[in-house]
Amino acid sequence: MKKLFVLLSIVLFADYSYADITAENRVQSRIDSVGVNILNKNRIQKRIVFTYNKEAKKKLLSTDKTLLKRQIVVYDGLYQSVQTDDELAAMLSREISFAVKSYSGAWGGRLDSLEVIAGSKKFETTADKRAVDYMVNAGYNPLALIVYINKTCPQKRSDFISRHNLTSKRLAAIYEYLTYKYPQYLENNEYISNKYYQNFLLNSIENRKKLEEKIRTKSAKAIRYE
Amino acid sequence: MNKILTFLFCLIIFCLPAYCLEYDYSSTESIPVKLSITEEISTKMPILEGQILKFKVLKDVQNDRLNLKKGDIVTGRIECIITSGMNGFPAEIIIDNFKIPYVKKSQLIGTYIKKGQNRFIWVYPLKFALTPFPPTGSITNIIKGGHAKIKTTDIITVYYYPDWK
Repeated sequence: MKKLFVLLSIVLFADYSYADITAENRVQSRIDSVGVNILNKNRIQKRIVFTYNKEAKKKLLSTDKTLLKRQIVVYDGLYQSVQTDDELAAMLSREISFAVKSYSGAWGGRLDSLEVIAGSKKFETTADKRAVDYMVNAGYNPLALIVYINKTCPQKRSDFISRHNLTSKRLAAIYEYLTYKYPQYLENNEYISNKYYQNFLLNSIENRKKLEEKIRTKSAKAIRYE
Repeated sequence: MNKILTFLFCLIIFCLPAYCLEYDYSSTESIPVKLSITEEISTKMPILEGQILKFKVLKDVQNDRLNLKKGDIVTGRIECIITSGMNGFPAEIIIDNFKIPYVKKSQLIGTYIKKGQNRFIWVYPLKFALTPFPPTGSITNIIKGGHAKIKTTDIITVYYYPDWK
């Protein structure tokens, strides 16, 4: 009886571990597939790898590995919010733009990487914009970037002394970028029936009014979003 | 016989996605096309992301794959503008999406990035040096990086890969 019990425990444990590995492998394969698709379709001639990390948590200087090793680490906490391939592409495209930036510039890209770390707010907006370009080129819907950020990034009270922009400002900037550069995605909006996108529309009314005013007056001035 | 044919059919169907990539980068053969902008642009000017720019071909490119004459006009698009910022961060213009007649977008490689003067390299050390004497360290915040300017004399090289899909 004891032998049978031990045998059964071993079989169950082995099965559980195998299922765990299989699940992780499936996630890694999905990330690799979407990530490499973005790299190939954008004809990015730089080596960038993608790693799914279930255990570790995102650290304060989370762009370290992206800028130093050109290794995009997808943390489990972030991956949990990803539902569609478009949203996964949104997450990866942002990181790819950081990794690509780390290849350019003086001293083998070290100077540009330092700039990204020191001027994180500025390059955060740039990364968002480049992510939209990468997504469009790779055949993903860029509105997923809005949905993904709206779901995952918290809203601070102020960004005056922060290293990051207010999420509402980032979302408004992406929306403006899409309005001018890729209006077709807003005209034939596949996300109009998406509740997360509707939530963005609901909480961005003031910022969108500012954009409408800019379009109406044909102004070229930068809008001060809230 | 029918079973074999069915098996083969299934095998082809299952294997098909692996061979149906929209791209094939096997070929290394490329033709460089040298361009220059027709009108100077700068981040000082009211330029917009998505704006189409005109470029002229600087040298004849004539072979069986591509026929461009010196002076021919092709277009490119401003992909991204990074404005100059505090602490000496330079402005940047990224141009891509070049369109050459009878050439597919997927056969071209040539993202062009032009940066302004980078003052970050000396502003940050200065900032740290002045930090013990407040508020002098914050004064460096007002030093902005240079504007990015694409002159008509700047040469932009775009590579055309004729064998790519």
